[in-house]
Amino acid sequence: MPSLEFSKLFVVTGLALGGVYALSGVGIVVLYRATGVLNLAFGAIGALGAFISWELVNNTGVPDWIAYLACVAVATAVTFTYGVIFGPLLAARDPLVKAIGTLGLALILLGTMSWKWGQIAGLSLPLPTTTRSYTLPNGFGVVNWTQIIGISFGIAVTAGTAVFLRATKLGTAMRALADDREITATLGVPVRRVEAVAWLGSGLMCGISGLLLSNLLGLDIVTLTFFVISALAAALIARLRSLWITLAAAMVIGLVTALLTPFSGDFQTLSDFRTMTPFVLAIVALLWLGRHRTVTVTRTAR
Amino acid sequence: MRSHKRSAALALATCSIVGVLLDALASGAASAPAPVGTGKASKTKSVCGLGNGKRATGRPIVLGGIFTKSPGIDFSPIGLMADAYFKCVNANGGINGRPIRYIIETEQDQPDRVAALPVKLADRDKVVAIVGNTSNTDCIVNQRFYERRGFRVIGAGVAAPCFTTPNFAMVNMGPHYSNTGAAQALVRAGAKSIVDYASNVPGANPYYGSGAITVGKRAGLPTSDNYVDVPIQDANSLVLKMVQQAGNGGGIDIALIPPEGLKVLTAAGAAGVIDRVKWSGATPFNSQFIADALGPEWNNKFLVNAEFNLLDSKGPDNQLYLQLQKAYQANCPACLGSFGQMGFLVGKIVTYTLLAMPVNRITQKSVNAAFLRIKNFKSDLWCKPWYYGNLPSHNANRWDRTVTFVNKKIVQVEGCFEIAAVDAPIVRAKADEKRLKLTSGTSWPPVPGQ
Repeated sequence: MPSLEFSKLFVVTGLALGGVYALSGVGIVVLYRATGVLNLAFGAIGALGAFISWELVNNTGVPDWIAYLACVAVATAVTFTYGVIFGPLLAARDPLVKAIGTLGLALILLGTMSWKWGQIAGLSLPLPTTTRSYTLPNGFGVVNWTQIIGISFGIAVTAGTAVFLRATKLGTAMRALADDREITATLGVPVRRVEAVAWLGSGLMCGISGLLLSNLLGLDIVTLTFFVISALAAALIARLRSLWITLAAAMVIGLVTALLTPFSGDFQTLSDFRTMTPFVLAIVALLWLGRHRTVTVTRTAR
Repeated sequence: MRSHKRSAALALATCSIVGVLLDALASGAASAPAPVGTGKASKTKSVCGLGNGKRATGRPIVLGGIFTKSPGIDFSPIGLMADAYFKCVNANGGINGRPIRYIIETEQDQPDRVAALPVKLADRDKVVAIVGNTSNTDCIVNQRFYERRGFRVIGAGVAAPCFTTPNFAMVNMGPHYSNTGAAQALVRAGAKSIVDYASNVPGANPYYGSGAITVGKRAGLPTSDNYVDVPIQDANSLVLKMVQQAGNGGGIDIALIPPEGLKVLTAAGAAGVIDRVKWSGATPFNSQFIADALGPEWNNKFLVNAEFNLLDSKGPDNQLYLQLQKAYQANCPACLGSFGQMGFLVGKIVTYTLLAMPVNRITQKSVNAAFLRIKNFKSDLWCKPWYYGNLPSHNANRWDRTVTFVNKKIVQVEGCFEIAAVDAPIVRAKADEKRLKLTSGTSWPPVPGQ
């Protein structure tokens, strides 16, 4: 078993990852609540933005900060475009079909990125915030500004989105859409416009997540595309409803995954399989939350 | 209806913009490569095959190669550089007028596909030789096939059977011996422990790290052999674990392929732990893109076991290799490094072996028999000459250098040294070389200019 002193070193990396998972989880939850779409392409879109950013930094004379903005802009544009085209077309379909649609987008983007950048090894997009670091007291190791941004963005976006949904007209419209799309439409709420805003907001979080994760996890096509699973696990634990539970779940997933890393020797297996953490926690949470569910069995009289 | 049309128009416009952006960023179409490898071979100039600048148009000689290409592991640059060499040969007269057609097959560690590929190459494509192979599992899965069908594979080995069975002779020394050399460098640098980290791929555990661990134990140091899944998901956490295991002043030997290893090195920089331990890596890190990616905080801190000569060496083969990479594989940065040098060497060995044979008697049987005759084959990329020979195992490349990175340049730290005799194949190789004079005397096949 690793010592407490050793384990403390992993708290910062865990919280930083958890913060970005929360950022992504909130984006997924808000979009789902407003449009009924579970965006499985979240990671792939963020990855595309990060790779375009890399291309601009390394192969053009564009200043780095413009390249970083391009990451967010591209992710927002792709998400928005998908939402505007396919959102209305799939609006009447059930949630599984809508989710599979986004899976299709994820696979297209995965293939495109592999074709364009798959042959190029050792890509990295070091943000200037990653090179500035501080040593924390009490043996918690070193934290860099990218990790600080990851943690604080996760919390800030969760809080900001919660306030937005409660206190603004648009937020109220989104909550109404989430409860009942048909009635909301009959009440005169511009449904398409509200959904478009939801897609736009989700795309924004997608781009920011992609940029941060390219530093926290590495600029890797597969890693960035499939990080959405961890964010999805957090969203599922929150039952795709509560933003604060999404935040808490994301932080727990990030922390547990990181804290399992230092296990070695007889407990090496825990470290080897730590990437299963999101799945395990999601399954445990869903089983626990559904424990009181009543199952009704009806029989038709013959 | 109108709003839907408007949405569709807006979406179409956005798609077009994104499409144009992607297209503008797409690599340009390959332009015709500048003529390379042409001229008269000499002690200071290497050429491709005949070097006569004439395009070969005869009946093709078909070769094939198998490479692992999966997330986290990509050995295809070796095949790409071998292909570049063969293309250069074809542009310079081919094999006495006959061009080489090189079929590159890739796999993702699925045993059924790995087993099917040499059958396809042999029976459908009718290759006369299977060369260049760099695969996690080819030597393990296909060893019996090659023995049964008489294929003598020349490639860049990974798994243990590549270096311990008769039908493989590799231009490299593989992760096991490369890690051994990296550990030797760490011991000489005064490391207080040896902690080895390698990719958890089929055949890796415990082969990749066992040589390094033996070196550490012989030096009386604490050791730890570890294997991680690739692609690495959380390098920040992993590097903290590595450093803690090694302890202050300890040694960490990284046997990951460079893109994965780069994640660890980058994370080490971000975590501020570079100076707490001594770092070393296996041959794949001897690559310009690693040098370009590491900042000045890594100057002189990362000892790389280099099985081949420095990328900026003035040797004739190295110069030709650099020209080929630029001319034929400019869009493959991973081709500029050890992987590319391996591919070049495969191309050179096979080309001059074929040139030494009667052009109309190039068959699978004759080519593979010819491979056994190769001895004292020289290149400035190696420390010592290479050979095949009719031997129970082959470990011709067992000398290497140690290099490091300084201000984005690869700099030699230690000249050619012999890999520690950590196990029987190396001991046997030493004895065979002496007994059969495999690294001295008349070279075969002959190479003009040498």
